Order: sequence, then C-alpha cells, then structure tokens
Amino acid sequence: MTTDATQQSAPGTDTKQPPPQRPQHVRRSAMAVAPIVGLVVVFAIWEFYVRVFDISRLTLPTPSSILVHVIEEPGFYWRHAQVTLYEAALGYGLALGASLIVATFMAHSRFVERSSMPVIVLLQSTPVAVLAPVFLIWFGFTYWPKVLVAAVFCYIPFTINQFTGLRSVDPNTYELLRSVSASRWEIFWKLRFPQSLPYLFSAGRLCVGLSLVGAVIGEMFGGSTEGLGNTARVGQTRLLIDQLWGSIFVLAFIGVIANILLAAVETRVLRWHSSQDLPGGPTAAR
Amino acid sequence: MTSPCRAAYDGAVPSPTSGGSRTAAPTAAGSSARSIGAPVSIRGVSKWFPTGRDFLHALDEVDIEIEPGEFVSLIGPSGCGKSTLLRVVGGLLPYELGTVTVDGNSPAQARDTKQIGFAPQTPSLLGWRTVRRNVTLLAEVNRRGAIHPPLGEREILELLESVGLGDFLDRLPKELSGGMQQRVSLVRCFALGAPVLLMDEPFSALDEITRNEMRYLLLDLWERTGHTVVFVTHSIPEAVILSDRVLVMATKPGRVVHAETITLPRPRSAQMEDDERYLAHMRNVRRSLGEVSAR
Repeated sequence: MTTDATQQSAPGTDTKQPPPQRPQHVRRSAMAVAPIVGLVVVFAIWEFYVRVFDISRLTLPTPSSILVHVIEEPGFYWRHAQVTLYEAALGYGLALGASLIVATFMAHSRFVERSSMPVIVLLQSTPVAVLAPVFLIWFGFTYWPKVLVAAVFCYIPFTINQFTGLRSVDPNTYELLRSVSASRWEIFWKLRFPQSLPYLFSAGRLCVGLSLVGAVIGEMFGGSTEGLGNTARVGQTRLLIDQLWGSIFVLAFIGVIANILLAAVETRVLRWHSSQDLPGGPTAAR
Repeated sequence: MTSPCRAAYDGAVPSPTSGGSRTAAPTAAGSSARSIGAPVSIRGVSKWFPTGRDFLHALDEVDIEIEPGEFVSLIGPSGCGKSTLLRVVGGLLPYELGTVTVDGNSPAQARDTKQIGFAPQTPSLLGWRTVRRNVTLLAEVNRRGAIHPPLGEREILELLESVGLGDFLDRLPKELSGGMQQRVSLVRCFALGAPVLLMDEPFSALDEITRNEMRYLLLDLWERTGHTVVFVTHSIPEAVILSDRVLVMATKPGRVVHAETITLPRPRSAQMEDDERYLAHMRNVRRSLGEVSAR
C-alpha cells in the first residue's frame, strides 16, 4: 500500500515545504553591515564615556569632535595621507615581492629553508622601529627610510605565511601530479601557488595595518616633514590634540578602506575556498 | 614454482585451489569497446623501508603478470603492501630487487611518457578549478612527454555526461557531493588516455550506497575503454564484481598468496551479485583473507 507523505504528517504541517530560511542576499547584506555596527557601538560608548564623565579634551576628545575637525580640514589630511599611503604601499609591495621570491626558494629547498630561518628569526626579534634612524643615515631625507621600515614590518608575516602556504600542499594531489611527471614549475603554478593564496591573503590583510604602522614610525623617527606620522608627532609636541587624533582617525580610516578593498579582492579570488563560505556552508549539489 | 598469480581456470565453479587463465579479453562485449590497455609485468619485486636503524620488509618477491586490458584487484590486510606495490608500478616509489615494466618500459619511463593514470584515495580535485578544468589537469602538464594523446574535449564531455556530471561542468569542487567529486576524479583518470590505470582505494571515503553506485560506474567506464587497471581495495564484493583477477596479499612481508580468477561474464551488472559464481568467488577470497589474518 502506498501512502502519501503528507497524509502521515501532523495536521496543519506540510512536510514538502522546506523550513523557512533567510534569502542569500539578506544574509550577505547582514554580513556587510556587521563591521559598521561594531564601529558604531564602539564610538557610541566612547562618546558616552567622555560626555558623562566629563573627560578633559586634552586627555580624550569625543569622536564626534575629531570627525568634525577632519571634515573641516580635508585638504590638509588628504595631502599628508597621500604621502603616507605612497610609502606604505611601496613598502607593502616590496615586502610582498621579496617574500614571494624567498618563500618560493625556501619551499623548494630544505637547505635554503634552514639557512633563511636564522635571518627571519633575527629580523622577527629586532624591534623594527630602531631601524628607522639607520635607514635615515643610509638614504637621507627621502621616501626610502619610511618605505623600508614599512617593508621590514611586512616582510616577516608575508614570508612566513607564503612559505607555509607553499609547503602545505595536499600530498595526494602532489602525488597525482608527480604520477605524470609534472615539472617543478608546473607543480608550482598549478598546485602550490594557488593553494597558498589563502595564506597570502591572510598575511596581506595583516600587513595592510603593519605597512601603515611602518610608514608612520618611519615618518616619526625618520626626520620627515610630511605624512600622517609627522602630523601626529607635531600635534603631540604642540598640543594640537584635534590634529593628533585627526591623524589617528585618518590612518585608521585608510586601514579600514584598504582592508575592505583587499577583502573584496579576496572574496573574488578565493571564492573556491571554504573561508569565503557563509555560515551554513556552500550551496552543494548534494 | 608456479606463481600464485597465474593459475588455470577449468570452467567449473571456482574453488580456492582452482584458478585459471582468462578465457576472454576483459573488454566490454560488443564492437564499440576500444582496448587501449598495456601489459604490466612485476617480477621478483622486493622493497624495504628504512625505519631508523632497521628496515621494514614491505614487499617480498612479488610476481604478477597483467595482460593488456585486464582488471586486477589487490586486496589484503592493512600494511600488506598493496599501496606500496601500486606506487612501485607507478614509478612513485623506488624498489630494491626485481623488475617492473609497463608496456616494456621501466616505471620511471612510463611515468615520464604518461602511460600511467593514477587515482588516489581522495578525489584530490583542485578547489579553484571547475569540474571541466579539473578533468583536463593531468593532460595539461608534461605535454611533451605524452606518447598517448589525451581524450579530446568532446570525448571528455561525453564521459562527464555519462557519469551524470553534464550539468555540473562549471561548478567548483566544493559545490559537489563526495560521490560527485569521486566521479570527477575517475573521469580525470580516464581522460588522460593512459593505457594503465592505478587506483588506490578510490572509494574508501564514500558511504556504502555511493560506493556501490561508484563501482558500477567504474565498471561501465572501464568496459567502454578497456584500460589495464590495477585496483587496490579492502572490499571483497568490490574486488570480485570489478575484476578479472583478485590477488590476495599477506603481510610481514607483503606478498601475493592467492590469485582468484573471476569467471563472471562481462559486461557485469548488480544482478550478478546473486550469481552462484560470484558468491563462490567471494567465499574463496574471504577464506584466503581469513587464512592470511590467522597467520
């Protein structure tokens, strides 16, 4: 005897109907709005704390007053932001390029790996800020001391992550390619490099902030007369509190925007990777 | 001494002591089947693995002669050297004694000339490539070495459609179920156009229902193409329904102790699982495995 499934279900329920779910675009929109919600909450608490406890403007101005100041001086901040952005971007690019070359050699040779590790540990243990005056002596009052400080800040995370990514190859896939005598170059381009991209993007996001920190430290210690590091330093020495905090806000804003742009690229490039799945997993044809 | 891998078949319901040469080529019935298989010869192969100061004797004088287009399964307890033997044939592991030839070439030469297709335990698909591009992966590398042309785009599409993936050509692996991923892996193996295919427990990670479905899908693919297949498995039903010969291996050291020639006609189907011959072969292999485990 055949029985209709709906006849067996409890009265008023329809077993053929899937459980209600929020549409995909709603879930994506919610994910996009989430970081803004976090920022608004932090700023609201800050604003509330300063106003309620009547904190001195010299100690901590309200976020609203800082924002007003920045909006009133767009040309000033834009001019200095361009300098810092240029130094940070160049340092970021240099570190990325150098780490790709070094990590590739390290991933392919145990000897290179072992000989590179002490240098990496040495760089990692050295407070990079102290290199700024050294670079100033070497390169004078040019962009290069700041660019190099930014590059040194980014180099280690890039190299370590890229090396780990290049080495973390699925052994079965590696063996599969070896079974048809794929060359090292083919294995690199078809397997190692694409598989290392999640590691590279992870380092890339971390290094966005680090490159800005490097550029700012370079400006502060490198005898600079331009850039947001310089405006912050001048603000601190002359008690221009709005300028000090304005520089910090603009730096943070640049960092956030750069991270958002990088995240957008990452979403596109790594759409195959599980890190890009929304909660609930991919839409599998199962 | 006669190798256990070359027993004779007398036409009767097989017993554990009987065996036999194959009475017919293992390709599909019908004129449409194309046999591109190549012979594989394994003679007196021994292999040791260094373990600190000692050595593990992984394979001991293994002798197997595989005819072109034959489907041979290796079955045995864990650690008996099935996968090691497969990798030795595939040129992925060196061996210390004996000779291995694939269509007259050494394993390394066979690998360099892309005469061997390999299907690992996991589908091993590249997550960033679509189904279509995963299937062509092996054909894209070492192009100059290949002496057998890979399947053309039209043939690959036909294969993908025949395994039910025609609507998923541009999907990424993460959008496929485990069974579908394994189907892509199988098609990739066949698409290489290599005469010898080595399969290392390709269905071990699948659930029983999918696994059962996959073995008939593999049968269908193989019966249409006629490659030589060396198939490693832990499943007796799988080995019996798929193979022309099932080689039972023992452990410590790894060696072939029994060869079961499967007398079921081809093409094979799920209905044959009720056939008395199928059940007899199952009993023989199981008994042989039992003896191996009891040692």
